[in-house]
Amino acid sequence: MAAVTMRLPAARAPLDSSAPRSGEKHLVAPGDTITTDTGYMRGHGTYVEDDKLIASVAGVVERVNKLVCVRALKGRYNGEIGDVVVGRITEVQQKRWKVEINSRLDSVLLLSSINLPGGELRRKSAEDELAMRDYLQEGDLISAEVQSIFSDGAVSLHTRSLKYGKLAQGVLVQVSPSLVKRQKTHFHDLPCGASVILGNNGFIWIYPTPEQKDDEAGGYTANLEPVPLSDREVISRLRNCIMALVTHKIMLFDTSILYCYEASLPHQIKDILKPEVTEEIVLEARQRLLDSEG
Amino acid sequence: MKATPLSNCERRFLLRAIQEKKRLDGRQCYDYRNIRVSFGADRGCCMVELGRTRVLAQVSCELVPPKPSRPTEGVLFFNLELSPMAAPGLEPGRQSELLVSLNRLLERCLRDSKCIETESLCVVAGEKVWQIRLDMHLLNHDGNITDAASIAGIVALCHFRRPDVSVQGEEVTVYTPEERDPVPLSIHHMPICVSFAFFHQGTYLLVDPTEREERVMDGLLVIAMNKHHEICTIQSSGVVMLLPDQILRCTKITAVKVAEITELIQKALENDQKARKEGGKFGFAESIPNQRITAFKMESAAVDTNDVEEQAGEIIAKADPPSEVFANPVLHTQNFTSKHQGFLNSCSFANPVVHTPGTAQIGEGIESSWGDLEESEKEEAVEEEGESEAAAFECEKVETEDTSTLRETKSDEPIVLSDSEEEEVVILEPQELPRKTRTQTSSKQENPSKKAFNKRRRKKRTSR
Repeated sequence: MAAVTMRLPAARAPLDSSAPRSGEKHLVAPGDTITTDTGYMRGHGTYVEDDKLIASVAGVVERVNKLVCVRALKGRYNGEIGDVVVGRITEVQQKRWKVEINSRLDSVLLLSSINLPGGELRRKSAEDELAMRDYLQEGDLISAEVQSIFSDGAVSLHTRSLKYGKLAQGVLVQVSPSLVKRQKTHFHDLPCGASVILGNNGFIWIYPTPEQKDDEAGGYTANLEPVPLSDREVISRLRNCIMALVTHKIMLFDTSILYCYEASLPHQIKDILKPEVTEEIVLEARQRLLDSEG
Repeated sequence: MKATPLSNCERRFLLRAIQEKKRLDGRQCYDYRNIRVSFGADRGCCMVELGRTRVLAQVSCELVPPKPSRPTEGVLFFNLELSPMAAPGLEPGRQSELLVSLNRLLERCLRDSKCIETESLCVVAGEKVWQIRLDMHLLNHDGNITDAASIAGIVALCHFRRPDVSVQGEEVTVYTPEERDPVPLSIHHMPICVSFAFFHQGTYLLVDPTEREERVMDGLLVIAMNKHHEICTIQSSGVVMLLPDQILRCTKITAVKVAEITELIQKALENDQKARKEGGKFGFAESIPNQRITAFKMESAAVDTNDVEEQAGEIIAKADPPSEVFANPVLHTQNFTSKHQGFLNSCSFANPVVHTPGTAQIGEGIESSWGDLEESEKEEAVEEEGESEAAAFECEKVETEDTSTLRETKSDEPIVLSDSEEEEVVILEPQELPRKTRTQTSSKQENPSKKAFNKRRRKKRTSR
């Protein structure tokens, strides 16, 4: 078994683009001319110079009638009502918490929007305000849903369901928000033995599947029992698979992660991150995805 | 933009490591990072690199009317600027607290210590004095801005030359640099700030904290001292209570550090002076390597290979006997210079095999690894496609020497058959391979003759 692997810098081989693309996508880089037709209105990600419409971000051109905008491939998360997000508490303020969710502005979790431990439903009193730090402290990770959006783009969260709340032991993977596919549910229990929360803001939480379901008291009890080694290996492998998919810009959803996991089983966990192995695994996963689609 | 908050895991990891006297970059508690001083072409322009923290300082001067309360003294003006170039969390209008505290500290260190003789900056009392302006920009924030900025400031001031002035009666003549050589500022002493970070309520102390360490520290103590052991400024901040003997210990450490840093500064100034006098090239174009002018350069660290042989011997002795060992692997010399080629050729065995271009492996040879060999087969297939795209590599000299010493120790391994679960155990004769194949210098995995081997392995895989 090798102890150290060394790799000298080399030119990256161009990615294998053998998979057929569904439809032509107009990809632009900052500074590319989108169109010289002056009849179009400029939207986000574009600007006008010398009668030309030029892209200011790298992304895909989208056109709605006369409005042309460029949707960036990599950017901060823009909240939409109903999204599931994973965030980290940065501040504890009066009657609310500030949560960092990889957006331009910190989001807000009001005291009135949380479930109390034990699932009780009552008006929050002054004692609750003083005991805020007992529920959520700085540095804690939570899963929440976007309740509303302020006019400046800041997002207001709520955890008014037993499936949301403080997250205990697991691994957080931070990816670009554009890679997380919008689905009906973002909480998945993968058959390989771990569960995953795909936050729309690009934060992905991988954790060991809890044995008892819906027994947690409103999601605040942190289960700090030691996680067995087999679970930890599954979680590490999942994390590496997600990183492999991200390198090749594959959309992340439960099926793609699962296919990638199964493709990676013959390899050792730490080898998944080697470029050759990554490419091979992702190709196989992509092939399976295409086969299952069409 | 916002700075990403530190996760609880990272915080706990850093604090636990500090408890065990370990730092992320491997330094000891009282060690400074590498300090590098480089000068620009202009007089008074210098850049200081403290590890990866970079500060650029520029001194300029102007004739102005003096302050009414001090008609015979020159004016000193210090300014440190933080920009998003240094760190994503620093925005032009946002980090006012940090900015104000840094500026105040540097002002106290440089102005209140009277290191610059302000009387000498007077030209005509009450009418014209020199205003010396020191502008500092933080180019990269990796912790300990104070120290880097104080070094940059004092070095820039020492490096600076102001135009010569002569007063005859009522007439004041300011000479241009061509007419008369510019004159240095009169600097009495060089105050240098040294920062101490405290953790676990003052139990642990680190000198020169990095940015990560600064995020988890409890308190910070900054002592500005010159090489004559005179304290110019002391500032303590944070939520830590310090005992008197702790502070005294810190001052003793500061004295040692300041002496070293002052020596380094003197040498840098002398070198630059010499370069300018001899007409040699000076300026940033010379001091910063021109290949990567804006990127960081990792300094090559020497690797201690003295006891590698004993360590390798121990590991081999303790390890289980290997299932198969292939002596005499083949090296393709593409990656190594001719000097290394000669060195490697002189070894008793032939050269190891380079598989994927630009990769090498040092193994420990502990257990059987059929799984790894399968993977290497796939890598070989990928590698053959990638061969044509391989570009020139940088050669890591230290690593090649390391691998060659390790290989040397393993060349004495006997070929041993083990009782592995596989039905067929194959020992292959080494063959000269036409082109690149992977170097696997572990005693277990050297498999030069891939082609014959692969067929057998494919058979074996289907049989499983």
